[in-house]
Amino acid sequence: MRFRARLPPGGRASLLLFGPLVLAVGGPVSAQTDPRALAIIDEVDRLWRGESSQARVSMAIETENWSRTLELDSWSLGTEYSLIRVLSPAREAGTATLKVDDEVWNYLPRVDRTIKVPPSMMVGSWMGSHFTNDDLVRESRLIEDYDIIISFEGVREGGAGDGQDVWEFTMTPKPEAPVIWGKIVQEVRKADRMPTWARYYDEDGELVRQMSFSGYREMGGRLVPRTMTVEPSDSDERTVVTYHELTFDLGLSQDFFSLRNLRARN
Amino acid sequence: MTQAWGRLWWRIAWRNLWRNKRRTLLTASALSFGFVASVLMIGLSDGVVEQMIQNGTELVTGQIQIHDQEFLPERGIHDTLGGSDGIDLAGLLAALDEVPLVSGAAPRVYGGGLVSSGDETVGAILMGIDPLREPNVSAFAENLVSGAMPGPGQILVGDQLADDVEVDVGDEVVLVAPAADGSLGNDLFVVSGIFSLDTGLMDGAYALLGLEDLQFLMALPQSRIHEVAMKVDRTRDSNAVAEEVGNAVQSMAPGLLVQPWSEFLPQLYFFTSLASASNLVIAGMIFGMAVFGVANTMLIATYERRREFAVVRALGTARRSVGLTVVCEGILLGAVSLAAGVMIALPLMAWIHAHPIDLSRWVGSYSMMGSSVRPLVTVEYSWDGPIFSGLALVVTGLASALYPAWKAVRVPPADALSSR
Repeated sequence: MRFRARLPPGGRASLLLFGPLVLAVGGPVSAQTDPRALAIIDEVDRLWRGESSQARVSMAIETENWSRTLELDSWSLGTEYSLIRVLSPAREAGTATLKVDDEVWNYLPRVDRTIKVPPSMMVGSWMGSHFTNDDLVRESRLIEDYDIIISFEGVREGGAGDGQDVWEFTMTPKPEAPVIWGKIVQEVRKADRMPTWARYYDEDGELVRQMSFSGYREMGGRLVPRTMTVEPSDSDERTVVTYHELTFDLGLSQDFFSLRNLRARN
Repeated sequence: MTQAWGRLWWRIAWRNLWRNKRRTLLTASALSFGFVASVLMIGLSDGVVEQMIQNGTELVTGQIQIHDQEFLPERGIHDTLGGSDGIDLAGLLAALDEVPLVSGAAPRVYGGGLVSSGDETVGAILMGIDPLREPNVSAFAENLVSGAMPGPGQILVGDQLADDVEVDVGDEVVLVAPAADGSLGNDLFVVSGIFSLDTGLMDGAYALLGLEDLQFLMALPQSRIHEVAMKVDRTRDSNAVAEEVGNAVQSMAPGLLVQPWSEFLPQLYFFTSLASASNLVIAGMIFGMAVFGVANTMLIATYERRREFAVVRALGTARRSVGLTVVCEGILLGAVSLAAGVMIALPLMAWIHAHPIDLSRWVGSYSMMGSSVRPLVTVEYSWDGPIFSGLALVVTGLASALYPAWKAVRVPPADALSSR
């Protein structure tokens, strides 16, 4: 398609809207992946696996041409299921997104229709933000699609993890993995297993976007980064996600994440 | 005196030429045939090129477009004419209508979005159009499979797109498009019609709706459009008209970029330039082959006249003059062939031009460089083809006479007379 709406470059991220996970284990593990890296990731992951959560989130989007803030309600179960509903602004209130496994549906209250996002639009922006639809889906597949090694270990100066003992994981796509990124590098603090930043590179090794985490604090009884910022590297634009409320163990079942529930207004 | 002398040698050359009528006629026929082939081939090639340009520009793009200078190649939603201030659309269109040779000007808004019906959703290029002006520029209105151009609240889709989302005229579709204010525009539209331009790109991806409907969906004010496409009657005027359009509109908003098709369809332009260049190469080859055939004939003709050359040389004629007769003979042969060729080529061209040969019955239509090509064999008149071929023909006659002339000059009078 020749036409390209001005959307931020698409890609994947471990989107916190669906549970504050760093990485999620699932599917076959390649021999290329460092077993130690896997063990750490698995340990982090175990904290959240199978958990349900609910969050009240604000998403502030700044672009060259406009800025706005969305207030969102989100529910998730593990990494497979999530449901997000827009509370404000009024023009989009009630708009909702359902993610089940690899598929994403949008509910549009203005026309009272549910639309399944087609594969060609998965790299499109989610609600005008610097997240893509693909970000919602791909989170649960990182280990299936990437070989992961520990590329740095020790005390790092500067940045969000200043003076902290950290691991740096480098993920390179497996030969036939259907992914967009050429490389993902992510830093995690050793002490509390909290992510500090993740950088996304294209196939030519150019930095495409950076995600940074901050405001670590207890929410819903767990330590989480309260704020996450996504910045495409070719502009001054950004999307900042901030958690206002976060609760775990709601006992949500898979039935909650249904198309019927997607349409239901609160 | 020199004039009389010159006329004399031409006359001798002319008589020599007709000494062996059959041979001369055969040689001249070969040259005429080469000329006709060359003219016809260039004409046909020009016809194909002209048709490609027309097909490439008349479907959607038009021959001239105005954009904001930032619009291409990213086609950003915010890069409207005049930037975020927009432009006086009515004034702009009025000014364009005033430009002579512009036979249509259509404003457009573009957006990327989803077209959805029931469980089917596909990505589409949304094009906001003025349903009254659009038919003057693009071919959508002429290629409706069913229904009509879109009115308010209506949408026109390509036949492949209609198949993909399983809709027909009168059905409802949902459009979802990222809007200029960052929101997600969405609304219901009724399918007013289905078009088929016979190119997968358009038929599978384009959806047309009213300019104001799309502006509203994408939260753009009515003064903001992405493009004005214009039609020019003869594609070859595009560059000149684009310049006039530029002069007419430049003061209306900053950053306006007016381009003829050769700039916004560079692949098509490259291909057509390549076709024109290859014409010359092929014509060159035709005459290159003719040179050797004609040279051979003339060489034999000069050998037959060895004794004559020896006699005139012995009587005191300068070498130069002997050579000149042969060269004159070659030029005259070329001129005769040219006259015959013109008499054959012109009626033939006129006939094919009036009765294009439609090959679509055998090969169907195909698409090339994004433009649908109907295999219609036609010729395009231009002076370039005949003039180039004619020159090439006379040069061929001249060139093929040079070697025989040189041989004639070198005939030693005594030897030629004494032996045989």
